[in-house]
Amino acid sequence: MSAVEAVSPPVAEIRDLRVSFRSAEGQVQSLRGVSLDIAPGEIIALVGESGSGKTLLGQSILGLAARLPGVEIAGSVWVAGVDMLGGEVRRRRWVQRHLLGAVFQDPLTSLNPTTKIGRQLTERGITPTRALENLRDAGVPQPALRARQFPHELSGGLRQRTAIAMALGTAPITAGAGCDGEPIGVALIGTGETPQLIIADEPTTALDVSVQAQIVLLFDRLRREHGCAVFFVTHDLGVAASIADRIVVLYAGRVCEVGPARDVLARPSHWYTRALLAARISVNTPTTVPIRAIPGAPPNPAALPPGCPFAPRCVNAQELCDVSMPDLAPRAAGDGGGSVACFYPQPLSAAVAPPAGDDVLEPAEAVAPHAPPLGMALELASVTKRFTVSGGRFGIGGRMVHAVSDVSLGIESGGALALVGESGCGKTTTLRVACGLIAPDSGTVHWGANAGRPQLVFQDAGSSLTPWMTVGALIEEQLVRRGIARKELRAAMLDLLARVGLDARAAGARARNLSGGQRQRAAIARALAAEPRLLICDEPVSALDASLAIRILELLQTLRRDFGVALMVVTHDLGVARRVAETIAVMYRGQIVEQGPVETVFAAPRHPYTEGLLAAIPTTEPGRLSPKLAGEPPSPIGIVQGCAFAPRCPYARPRCTDETPILRDLGDGRRSACHFAEELGNRL
Amino acid sequence: MARFLAGRLVALIFILLALTLAVFVIDAAVPTDPVAANLGAGASQTLIRAARHALGYDQPIYIQYYRFLGRILHGDLGTSLRTHNSVAADLAQFAPATVELALASMILISGLALLLGLWSASGATGATAIRFVLVSLASAPTFFFAIVLVLVFYSWLGLLPASGRTTAGTATGFVMTHDLWRGDLVGWLDGLRHILLPAVVVALGPAVAIGRVLRGSLVDAMAQDHIKTARSKGISDSAVLLRHALRNALTPVLAMVGLQLGLVLTGVIVVETVFAWPGLGLYTSEALVNSDFPAVIGVTLVLGAVYVVINAAVDVLQVVADPRLRDRP
Repeated sequence: MSAVEAVSPPVAEIRDLRVSFRSAEGQVQSLRGVSLDIAPGEIIALVGESGSGKTLLGQSILGLAARLPGVEIAGSVWVAGVDMLGGEVRRRRWVQRHLLGAVFQDPLTSLNPTTKIGRQLTERGITPTRALENLRDAGVPQPALRARQFPHELSGGLRQRTAIAMALGTAPITAGAGCDGEPIGVALIGTGETPQLIIADEPTTALDVSVQAQIVLLFDRLRREHGCAVFFVTHDLGVAASIADRIVVLYAGRVCEVGPARDVLARPSHWYTRALLAARISVNTPTTVPIRAIPGAPPNPAALPPGCPFAPRCVNAQELCDVSMPDLAPRAAGDGGGSVACFYPQPLSAAVAPPAGDDVLEPAEAVAPHAPPLGMALELASVTKRFTVSGGRFGIGGRMVHAVSDVSLGIESGGALALVGESGCGKTTTLRVACGLIAPDSGTVHWGANAGRPQLVFQDAGSSLTPWMTVGALIEEQLVRRGIARKELRAAMLDLLARVGLDARAAGARARNLSGGQRQRAAIARALAAEPRLLICDEPVSALDASLAIRILELLQTLRRDFGVALMVVTHDLGVARRVAETIAVMYRGQIVEQGPVETVFAAPRHPYTEGLLAAIPTTEPGRLSPKLAGEPPSPIGIVQGCAFAPRCPYARPRCTDETPILRDLGDGRRSACHFAEELGNRL
Repeated sequence: MARFLAGRLVALIFILLALTLAVFVIDAAVPTDPVAANLGAGASQTLIRAARHALGYDQPIYIQYYRFLGRILHGDLGTSLRTHNSVAADLAQFAPATVELALASMILISGLALLLGLWSASGATGATAIRFVLVSLASAPTFFFAIVLVLVFYSWLGLLPASGRTTAGTATGFVMTHDLWRGDLVGWLDGLRHILLPAVVVALGPAVAIGRVLRGSLVDAMAQDHIKTARSKGISDSAVLLRHALRNALTPVLAMVGLQLGLVLTGVIVVETVFAWPGLGLYTSEALVNSDFPAVIGVTLVLGAVYVVINAAVDVLQVVADPRLRDRP
């Protein structure tokens, strides 16, 4: 990297950047003295938990921070010699038009819904021909057709590819004409044919894993082909590991560690980096290895401690850490370069002893009931549900969505099942049928003897709690329905809150006053108020940072162990599935394609789709990503002849398209809907 | 899209039929007997029966409705009890004044609403002040506001006339449009001076209502992610506002426009009375005072049809503005 620096000046220079906001609580310090250079053609991953300031850093480089309401900025950000924080607006816009590209998290909202794609692509003054080239470059098939469409007519993955194509479409720089005729950094800026720097803010977070892997590799290819630098903001260390040259770890608005990706991940020097790695719910971590949540919570940005911001949560904090702020200093020799902001960095030679603390997520088997099961908590038998979509009127002539076809599932009392699959695979419909929100077209749903309706816990706990009611009132409402006497209401309510790890203060709070983790706990407490024998959780932790997610998963396991509640967890995250359940069911296009004990399935998948899903998940070993899943999750509309997965399957044979496979028992406690399941097993 | 338009057209026809049915029922339910009223108090029972037969009033009610529809389609809206002209001819005489007033109001509404909405959404200086002034003015009752304007601009300042359409006293026809067509600038300016006060009175309320919706929905639109994308491309603030935010803010605004234009139609009746504007409003208030039912029915049908057509147009415009609505079942 130092060799690159010697040759050409950095694309972007950030010097002692400090950004704060005025708020009712006082001055919120979001970035506190960040300095960083981005070299040409370099991919930097910026990682950190929510609230660390990583999105703000990206916006500062883009020149968008100065106009945020109530913002105060000190320090400087230069891109190609232009001040992106102050100075003339014209010069900033010139850099934005000619040198920068931006890709944001949610492709559903980051494209203008009322403007055709072609028009959005050419907005910076590029020719339609080049816009089509950019689309093709970003891996969009049929670019000419797409350019005439509106964003809502595209799938999520295609939309994100379109957003990337748009980031590539920087205005060409005509000879001699710099910014206002002033040639700035001519050696660097080139022709403007491609951006010098793309800021990508969580560009894969809203995508399915198979698409995520494709997009990550796309950024890598664009860098190699066009030489543009990429500033990749992500919360996922696995994604960072799979493409970054350098990793920057941000905590409470400060860089706590920076260095070559390989070295930082293999030998983290900062205790926070290490804790982040240990808290990763990785699909590759065998369930026997405990996952540890980072104790405590990130500091309040309106009232930051005087010393190291991580000290209150650090297992190795000493007196000095609480009173003095460490600056970035070179990492120990032999750690491969980079810098760390820690007085007592993790020594290279030290054995990686597990840090103390109780926040350890045990494997699901450890909490599984050993007593003979008390019957089934949920039984779905041959459930089918169809919907009619667009075009038809009065139920005639519309096309059918086979949301769920012939799905059979069972969960024993106190058991746990994870239902996984990509968007549109029918897992949410299955969930809604399972808890009786919608009736199946055919098939039966049983909840077990004397069991009430299963209770639901949603992904976004914030919007599932009525905003104007206190948490206490919401829980008491459920208790009243159960017939609890008025006198005992409060005690019962507080008891429920205690079970989920909340105290009496939470009873008087409304959803907006609680943190993300607390909201999810409150939602679980309300679900428990109905004394369900089965808790159905829809993506219960996907909106939470890893540490919080671990604690919620812990809570779910405690509930199983102590109260015998059965769990059905619907998730797209195979890591979560592996941790939370003994049984996993993989859905594809409305059908279960593989089902069995979690460890058996993960060790040797017997369906190519499961295998592809597992391969698409990034790990923290750099450069390991090799997705086998091409294409995107299929449209559930219409009927497919043969195996629905065949078009994406690397092993597809003629039989797959001729004959529809059925889900059959393989004899080792699992089922697969692949004609060649046994062969797949032998091959592996 | 074609499918959507066809659907809307069919719906439009049904709504118009419902409107005629409603008007027919009201007409039939009115206690005065039009035949007896037409023949005078001294007419014999035999004469009345003969007249009823001749006019078809002894036929079954659905036949009567069918014939009523047939008459409407042929432009026959009956005869006014007050002017003794055919209602259709009366409407043709008085409508142009109202159409010109409504057009002038709509131009003012668009201008004021855009000014209010864009100015306050862009957060430019003075936005709060202009919003305060316009909202306070719109809070006053229409007739009060009209009287204040007449007092200020006519009685005190003597700048603008208080009544009529021209100094010469021309009452009917497309006065301003005709002047514009002939290139008669003096005549057109005279018309403009006359139309200004009534048009402002009609326009203010709807303009502020639409402007506030526009502001709110622009603020929402500006908070969307794709605005961040547009800004990151180095596009100027005005282009971001006009090219990216405005079209995304239109759906609720168009719904409000449909509602408010309905209010404009009823608003002109009050305003025309205050400013002695010889249009449909004045004609209607005269008809109401004189129990001229055929005239009231005729005006109701025409204004009702205009309202229904405007709202169908709003529906179509919403779909044109937001392509996502096209694929909705």
